[in-house]
Amino acid sequence: MRPNHWSYTLPLRLRSLFRRNRVEQDLSEELQYHLDQKTQEYAAAGLTLDEARRKARREFGGVELAKDNCRDARRVSYIQDFLQDLGFGLRLLRTSPAFALVAILTLALGIGANTAIFSVIHGVLLQPLPFPKQDQLMMLWEKDRSGARSNTSWATFMDWNRLNHSFTGIAAVSFWSPTFIGTRDAETLNGFRASSTLFDLMGVKFVQGRNFLPSEDVRGNNFVVILSYGFWQRRFGGDSAVVGKSVQLGSRSYAVVGVLPADFPSVLSFDPRRPADIYTPLAYDATLPYACRDCRHLRAFARLREGVPATQAEAEMNQISANLFREYPTEYSASGVILTPLKDYLVGDVKTALWVLLGSVGFVLLIACVNVANLLLAWAARRQREVALRAALGAHRTRMVRQFVTESLLLSLLGGGFGLILAWSGVVLLQRVRLANLPRLQNVHIDAWTFAFTFGICLLTGLAFGLLPAFRAAKLDLNESLKESGKTTAGRERHRLRSALVFADVALALLLLTGAGLMMKSFVRLLEVNPGFDSSHTLTLTLALWGPKSQDAPAVAFFDQVLQKVQALPGVQSAGIVSQLPLGGNLDMYGVHVEGKTLPNPEEDPSADRYSITTGYLRAMRVPLLRGREFDQRDVATSPWVALVNESMARRFWPGEDPIGKRFRMGDTKGPWRTVVGVAGDVLHRGLDAPHTLQVYLPNTQFTDSLVILAVRTSNDPAALAASVRSEIAALDPQVPISAIATMDEVVSASVENQRFGALLFLLFGAIALLLTAVGIYGVISYGVAQRTHEIGIRLALGAGRQQVLGMIIGEAMRPALLGAALGLCAAFGLTRLLTRLLYNVKPTDPPIFAGVLLLLIGVALLASYIPARRATRVDPMVALRYE
Amino acid sequence: MSKPSDLVQGTLDLLLLKILALEPLNGYAVSLRLKQVSGDVLQVSDGSLYPALHKLEQEGWITAEWKPTENNRRAKFYSLTRLGKKHLERESANWSRLSAAISNVVKLKEA
Repeated sequence: MRPNHWSYTLPLRLRSLFRRNRVEQDLSEELQYHLDQKTQEYAAAGLTLDEARRKARREFGGVELAKDNCRDARRVSYIQDFLQDLGFGLRLLRTSPAFALVAILTLALGIGANTAIFSVIHGVLLQPLPFPKQDQLMMLWEKDRSGARSNTSWATFMDWNRLNHSFTGIAAVSFWSPTFIGTRDAETLNGFRASSTLFDLMGVKFVQGRNFLPSEDVRGNNFVVILSYGFWQRRFGGDSAVVGKSVQLGSRSYAVVGVLPADFPSVLSFDPRRPADIYTPLAYDATLPYACRDCRHLRAFARLREGVPATQAEAEMNQISANLFREYPTEYSASGVILTPLKDYLVGDVKTALWVLLGSVGFVLLIACVNVANLLLAWAARRQREVALRAALGAHRTRMVRQFVTESLLLSLLGGGFGLILAWSGVVLLQRVRLANLPRLQNVHIDAWTFAFTFGICLLTGLAFGLLPAFRAAKLDLNESLKESGKTTAGRERHRLRSALVFADVALALLLLTGAGLMMKSFVRLLEVNPGFDSSHTLTLTLALWGPKSQDAPAVAFFDQVLQKVQALPGVQSAGIVSQLPLGGNLDMYGVHVEGKTLPNPEEDPSADRYSITTGYLRAMRVPLLRGREFDQRDVATSPWVALVNESMARRFWPGEDPIGKRFRMGDTKGPWRTVVGVAGDVLHRGLDAPHTLQVYLPNTQFTDSLVILAVRTSNDPAALAASVRSEIAALDPQVPISAIATMDEVVSASVENQRFGALLFLLFGAIALLLTAVGIYGVISYGVAQRTHEIGIRLALGAGRQQVLGMIIGEAMRPALLGAALGLCAAFGLTRLLTRLLYNVKPTDPPIFAGVLLLLIGVALLASYIPARRATRVDPMVALRYE
Repeated sequence: MSKPSDLVQGTLDLLLLKILALEPLNGYAVSLRLKQVSGDVLQVSDGSLYPALHKLEQEGWITAEWKPTENNRRAKFYSLTRLGKKHLERESANWSRLSAAISNVVKLKEA
C-alpha cells in the first residue's frame, strides 16, 4: 500500500478493529435507512405498508449476507475472525481439560527438546566466532607420516612465516602453567606463551591496555602479561587500573599490559572447562634447546590474505613444507601441512553428534505431531454436531478450516510456551551441572534466535497436525452427522487414518529407540573397558612447584616428603607421584629410539607417552608389573638410567625377546641410553575408546617435573581424604598451589562425559518416543473402541465370543503397528550408519539391539491396545445397543 | 455470493465513483441514480451495492459522513476523496481505451 493511502485507510482499519460495535451499529443503520426508503417508495406506489416492506426486503437480498460482505470489505475480518476463533478455541479447551493437557504436554516435550538442542547448536556451531572475518582464520599443522596433524616447532614456524605469501601472518602458542602468587594463596594458572602477532591476527579489541609489542616478544624483555577477562574479574575484581600493575608469577614479577574482552573464546584452551587465564609473549630464539626443528610443541594460527582461498594457501604451504623436508631430511617424518578452519578445529569434535541429536529430536517432534493430530481427529469427531450445525447455518468451508487451524495453532503455541520453559531449564541445567564438555558452551543462550526457531516450529507443527483434522472435519457429510446415525460402524476411511497414525508412531519410535539402544550399548561397552588401572578408592590432585623448589633435586626431595606424610595418614595404602595422569587430558609424548632398531630418519621412530613416577605410583594406581622390577632407592639421578615400558612397547620392539636389559633413547637421539628394567601393563591414556599407545615410565629422579599429580590409594572414601592430604602439603609449604582435586573415578567419568551426555540424551528422546507411542496407540484404540461400542454390542449380541472381540481389536491395532515396525526397521537400518562415528565397539546394525527394540515396541503396542480391547469385551450388549 | 456477475469486474467501482464524483450521495440515492443512468441494462442488486461502497471507502477512494437527509433522518453520505478523483481519472481513461478496443474488434467484418 502506498503511504498516501494510510492517511485515509489506517483510521478506518483502526476504527473497524477497536470500535467494532459502533461500526456495526452504523452498518445496521445504513442498511435500515435503505430499506425504509425503499418501503416508503413502494408504499407511495400504492402497496400496503406490509407488502412494501416485504418487497423491499426481497429486492435487497440477504441483509445478513450483505452485512457479512461489508465486513469483509473492512479488510480486518481476518484478524477479527482469528481473535474470535482464538476465543472460541480457548473456551473449547477449557471444556476438555484432559484433552488440552495431554496435547499441550505432548507438544511441550517435542518442541522443548527441539528448542534446547537448537539453542545448543546455534550457540556452539552456528554463531560466528567474535573475530572479524572469522572465515579467514586457520589452524596450521604439520602433517606426520600417518597423515595426522601434528604440532609444529619454532624453527619451522619461523620458516613458514618467512616463506609464505598466502597469509597476513602466522602466530604460534605454547602451553604455559605459571604459578600465580596471591596475597593469601598460590594458584596454578592455565596460560599460553603467544607470539606478539596472535591477537592482532585475530582482530581482538582489548578491554584495557594493548597487545604485546614486537619488542616484548624477545627473550629478556618478555616479562609482560595479558589477562583473560575471567581471570581479571576473579583475581583483580575487574580493577580498571590493572594495566601497568605487576603480577607475581612464580619467582618473577610480570607487568600487565592488557585485558582481553569477555567474549574472547577459549580458542586456545584445550580444556573448555577452564579457559586460559593469562598470556605472555612466546619470546623464543634459536639458542633455546626447545627451539629446535623437531621440538614440536607449538600450535600455529594463521589468517588468509584477502581473496586467497584456503586450497591455494594449502598448496603453497605444501610446497614450502616439501622444500623444508628436502633441506632437513632427518628432522621431518613427512612433507605437507594441514589447514583447518579455526571454527572447525574448535567445534569439529561435537559437530556430528549435535546434528545427529537435532535429527533425532526432530523425530520426537514428529511423533508428538502424529499424536496430537490423532487427538485432534478424535476431538473433531466428538464435535461433529457442532461442525455440522455451523455448516448448516452457512459457515464457509474455508472459514471452518481456519477455525480448526486456529485451534491447533493455539495448542502448538501453548505447547511451545511450555516447551520454551523446558528448554530453558535444560540449558541452565546443562551449563550449571556441566553434563557435557562442549566447547563454547557459555555461548549457548535462549535468545531471540531460539524464540524465532521455537515460534517457527510451533507454526509448522500447528499446521502439520492441524490441517488434516481440519480438512476432514470440514468435509463432513451434514446429513449423516446431524442424524447421528453414522455410529454403528466406523467409517472405513476414518479407520484407515487411525491405522496410519499407529503406523507412523511405531515406525518413528522404532527408529529413535534403535538409535538410543545403540548409543546406550556403546556407552556400556565403553564403561566395561579395562583402563589398565584400578580407579576405585583413589584420590588425585595436582601440585605445582615454583621458584627454587622447582629445580630438580629440591623438587624430588619435596615430593619424597609429601609422600612420607601422606602415606602416614590413616587408611592410606599407597601413594605416588606422576607427571601426567591417564585419561586426565595431558598428551606428553617423546620419540623413542631403540638401540639397533632406529630408522634412518629418527623422526620416523614412534612416540611414547612419558610418565615420570615415584616408586609408589604403579601400586597406587594398581597398574600391574608384568616382568622385572619397579623403581626403588637405587634409582637416583647419578645411577644408571633405567625405564619401565608397557606391554605394547615390549611387543612392538622386542617380540619374543626378553625386553629387560634392552636400551633406548628418549626424545634426543644423542642422549644417554635408558635400560629397560621392567614391563608394566598397558594403560589407556587418551580415552577409554582410544587405541593402546606405547608408554614409558621413568624414575622422577632421572626426569623431574615440577607440575605433577599425586595419586593416593586408600581403604576408605577417597574424597574424604582430600582435606587431610591438603593440610599435610600446606604444612610442608603453604605456598605450593594444589588444584584439580578429584577421585580417579571422577577423572575416568569426566573422560567419557560427552559419550555419557550423548547416550543420556538419546535415552531421554527414546523414552519420550516410547511414552508418546504408547499413549498414542492407547488413545487411538480406545477411541476406536468407544466409537464402535454399538457395533461391538451387536457382535456380542449375535454370539461373538469375547476372545474374538479381543482378538479383533488387538489385531486391528497390531497390523499397522507391525507394518510400522517393519518400515522403522528398514529406516533404522539405513539411518543408524550416521551414528557410526559416535559408536564404540558396536556396529550400527547390531542385531541384538534391533531385535530388542523391535520386541520392546511390539510389547508396548500390545499392551497399549490390550487395555482398551479388554474394555471392549466387557461391553454389555444391551447397554451398547442403546448407546449413542 | 451475490456478485454482479453481468458486470465486468471493476466496472461497478467505476460507475459508483463516477456517480459520486457528481455529488455526495447516500446509499439509497446511489441505487436510484444507478438505475436512472443505466436503465435496466446494469442490474445491481441493493445487497451488493453496499459491500461495493464499503470496499471503495476502505480503499480510501471515497469517504463517508453521517448527515441529515431532507426528511430529517440520519444517512451516510459518500463523497469522492482526492485519491478517488485520481483513481477515477485513471480508470476512466483505461475504460475508454478498453471499450474502444473492444468495439473495434466487435465491428470487424468477417472476411
